[in-house]
Amino acid sequence: MAVLVVGGGVAGILAALDLARAGRPVTLVERSQRLGGQVARLDKIYPTDHCAFCPLWTDIRNCLEHPGITILSSATVRKLERTGDRWAVRILREPPVIEERLCIFCGRCESACPERAVLPLLDQAYPPVYRVDENRCTRCGQCEPVCPTKAIDFNRKTVEERIVVQEVLWAAGFQDGDYNPLPEYGYGTHPDIMTALEFEEWTAESGPNGGRILRKSDLREPSRVAFIQCAGARDLRNLSYCSAVCCMHALKQAAWVKRRKKDIDCTIFYTDLRAVGRDYFKYSINNNSPGEPVRLIRGRPGLVVALTGGGIAVTYEDTLNQERRIERFDLVILNGNLKPSLKPEGEPGTLSLDGEGFVDTAVGFGCGFAVEPADIMDSAVQAASVSMRILGRENT
Amino acid sequence: MAHTVILLCRCFGEIDGVVDLDGIAGRLREENQDTSVYLLDSLCQEDDGHKLEMLLREEKARKVVAALCAGDRGRHPRWNALRNAGVGPSGYATVDLREGCAWVHRNDPAGATEKALDLVSMALAALAEKETSRDVSTAVHPRCAILGAGPAGLAAAAALAGQGIPVHLIDRADRPGGMLNLISKIYPEDDDAKSRIDPFVREMEANERITFHPRSRVTAVTGFAGNFKITAEGPDGPFRFRAGAVIIATGAGIFLPRGLYRYGEFKEVITQIELERQWIKGTPEKKRFAFIQCVGARCPERPYCSTICCPSSLKNAMRVVAEIPGGEATVFHRDIMTPGSVLEEYYRRSMEKGVRFVRFREDSPPEILGEKSVEAVRVRDAGSGKEHVFPAETVVLSTPLVPNRDNGALYALFRVGLDSHGFFSETYPLHPLETRLDGIFIAGSARWPVSSEKAVEQGQGAAMKALALLRRDRISALSLSRTPEEKPGHGTVAENACTGCGNCVAVCPFEACALQERDGGRFVSRVNKMRCKACGSCVSVCPNGTMQIPEHNYRVTAAMIRRSFSS
Repeated sequence: MAVLVVGGGVAGILAALDLARAGRPVTLVERSQRLGGQVARLDKIYPTDHCAFCPLWTDIRNCLEHPGITILSSATVRKLERTGDRWAVRILREPPVIEERLCIFCGRCESACPERAVLPLLDQAYPPVYRVDENRCTRCGQCEPVCPTKAIDFNRKTVEERIVVQEVLWAAGFQDGDYNPLPEYGYGTHPDIMTALEFEEWTAESGPNGGRILRKSDLREPSRVAFIQCAGARDLRNLSYCSAVCCMHALKQAAWVKRRKKDIDCTIFYTDLRAVGRDYFKYSINNNSPGEPVRLIRGRPGLVVALTGGGIAVTYEDTLNQERRIERFDLVILNGNLKPSLKPEGEPGTLSLDGEGFVDTAVGFGCGFAVEPADIMDSAVQAASVSMRILGRENT
Repeated sequence: MAHTVILLCRCFGEIDGVVDLDGIAGRLREENQDTSVYLLDSLCQEDDGHKLEMLLREEKARKVVAALCAGDRGRHPRWNALRNAGVGPSGYATVDLREGCAWVHRNDPAGATEKALDLVSMALAALAEKETSRDVSTAVHPRCAILGAGPAGLAAAAALAGQGIPVHLIDRADRPGGMLNLISKIYPEDDDAKSRIDPFVREMEANERITFHPRSRVTAVTGFAGNFKITAEGPDGPFRFRAGAVIIATGAGIFLPRGLYRYGEFKEVITQIELERQWIKGTPEKKRFAFIQCVGARCPERPYCSTICCPSSLKNAMRVVAEIPGGEATVFHRDIMTPGSVLEEYYRRSMEKGVRFVRFREDSPPEILGEKSVEAVRVRDAGSGKEHVFPAETVVLSTPLVPNRDNGALYALFRVGLDSHGFFSETYPLHPLETRLDGIFIAGSARWPVSSEKAVEQGQGAAMKALALLRRDRISALSLSRTPEEKPGHGTVAENACTGCGNCVAVCPFEACALQERDGGRFVSRVNKMRCKACGSCVSVCPNGTMQIPEHNYRVTAAMIRRSFSS
């Protein structure tokens, strides 16, 4: 009773483990080079304030070492065909230039590269390995001969794998949406206007600045940071839904900015402060961050403009006090425009998606953000319950 | 000492480019008898695991020291090779010679070489003192005890029974359904409340694997994952059974807003549950409804959002508008909590249907006006800052779910964690249905307020977690690990030296230590190996070193320190 799990984030990893532990052979397909999904990119997670990577890494290892789970990374599902009660699946695997199993992270390729195109795969990945940034790489080949383990090969061929499974589980997660339809937020006009996921990586303890809070434009410390919620979400021009994770994400990020440097002013612009889970509300009552409390302003800024003299102007109405204001900030963090990764037009087979790109669970199996905006806890619950329903279907 | 193999990895020049590995190998051979030293180019490449297994078998190695990189790269094949060659965790030690030695001392090769020799010698000294924990195992009773027959418990029972697992379903009420029995319709489908659990109740009635115990409660629990002995009391007296796993799905209580918003003074001021009761009887008579949110929630006494009250109000407000001729509904709120796609759509639909929303600030809550009965609600609208009076005939207060009054007693029985509010808590966000004790799972509003839809999801999820345990025939103590590796040992007491002080009992987070009486009224500590997680808390508080984890006993540390200062 083989199962194909599409997506190697939290939802996919946990579902693969549950199914494999119940004795089902699982093939786990992940588009990127490594398991972990969006959570692996996070510095800290709410509500425990723990680092994201270590606990996730335990379950990644459980997955990597489970004999019932076959992992295909750097791979995408190209075709699904129904034959009888089975799915014939075509999967394309495009091996990366640097083979992860061979790389020993000695750094000789990094020194040899004239374009600085060889980078650590993920700042938090453990054990660390290198990857080639395809955008910078000129394929000059100088790294290839210096690699002692022959991990670098520019001529690896795309491999097609064909498997047959009984069930397909979609757990493809989410990604930052396009800000082009939302010019009022000024995304792309200034390096200090970034998305919350970009800010997470920029300020991560294992990231480029070792956990310091800096402006991207001049690497100086900001004195004022604005977090704009529902930027592109709950907005009929763009995403009509609420992305569910962003209020807590902003509250957590603001608390961590304060912990790292308590003099930095943090302001969160929100519509409804949706902190609904266990211990989520404590973030919004500011009892766990030092210095001046995080300012919570109910209102959705109408215009974000980079100023020529430096800084970014945010125009907003504080709707609880009926005041219209313009304020200057040094960093503006946009959150809310999170879209499911599956696309209604481009997905193979009979995958059924609704208008927003979420998996229609009346037709197919899914878990995590692919089904409905979900945080780590929701995804973990959904992974377990959908695995149970897959087992239940086999019995009938 | 048993035959020892030392593996020194060159890491393709990354280590031996700085550290004189050949020199070290010679000195190690000289200093240690019955020891073979190997220099290898790598230990992490494609078939190194296979080669290592051959080598260890040929050498008949009993103890192995591997000096390599910090990342423990290629760990999985290496551990397989060790296991296949008969080298256990207590016979294996690793030393970081790359990041922590060769790389950081790149400019001091002589110093790096001395340090490397010290590190490897310390590992050898440690291995000489390591002992092995005696493993125990238990047969798994393929049966599940489920406490609470609400949507979470019923869904879990139906799921497990469908997988062939017998279930004891215990509820203090006389019929299944839990809080759904008090509710007329459910969001977001707006279907009859019973429709949520109907398929599970039918399964319960048809499937002989599910035994339903109405008007019953658990009174005593002993045992551990795979083998819990449960005593419960029902209308026909006490009964006992064994179960491999337990799911706690006992739901939550409802907060009564005594003294808030003139509740108790006017009969027209009611709670959501009282409104549900009116709907079950028929269509309410009144036309003008005011819903007030966060009554006793998101306040200092109960600093949390109860999750279900906003969607519940939207559901009932839409019903007022749709089903009562001339019906009007206004929702007074601080924030509307409808996260996600389905609930946000539900919120939008309620606005389209004509439900009115008025936001108030926490510091200026609405006020109920009236002499003998409810006449109106006065509120300062946060959006305009102006005061408004809304005529109203019925005021519905949305009060939070609160921890069940049984939670304290259940905590005393099962000892799984309670959070600061009194709900049952999980180990970690990644494992929201698992508790700190193996074999005990939580689901539904017993762990945190959830809708009936999500409670069903959690019940099925908890069943999935229980199934992974229940489908095994036997489990050993060392295999009860949440990582790919076995547990690194467990606490072991030297009984003749134990003074029975009980420090270990007080600190054990997994309820593994207990005092047992011996002849002459003397007490000694006993460790339940099935519950022990080898955290070492007991070892650190034992006043005379009686409690040890054999793989990491105090002689190991002492030998390493002695060795590091003796060269």
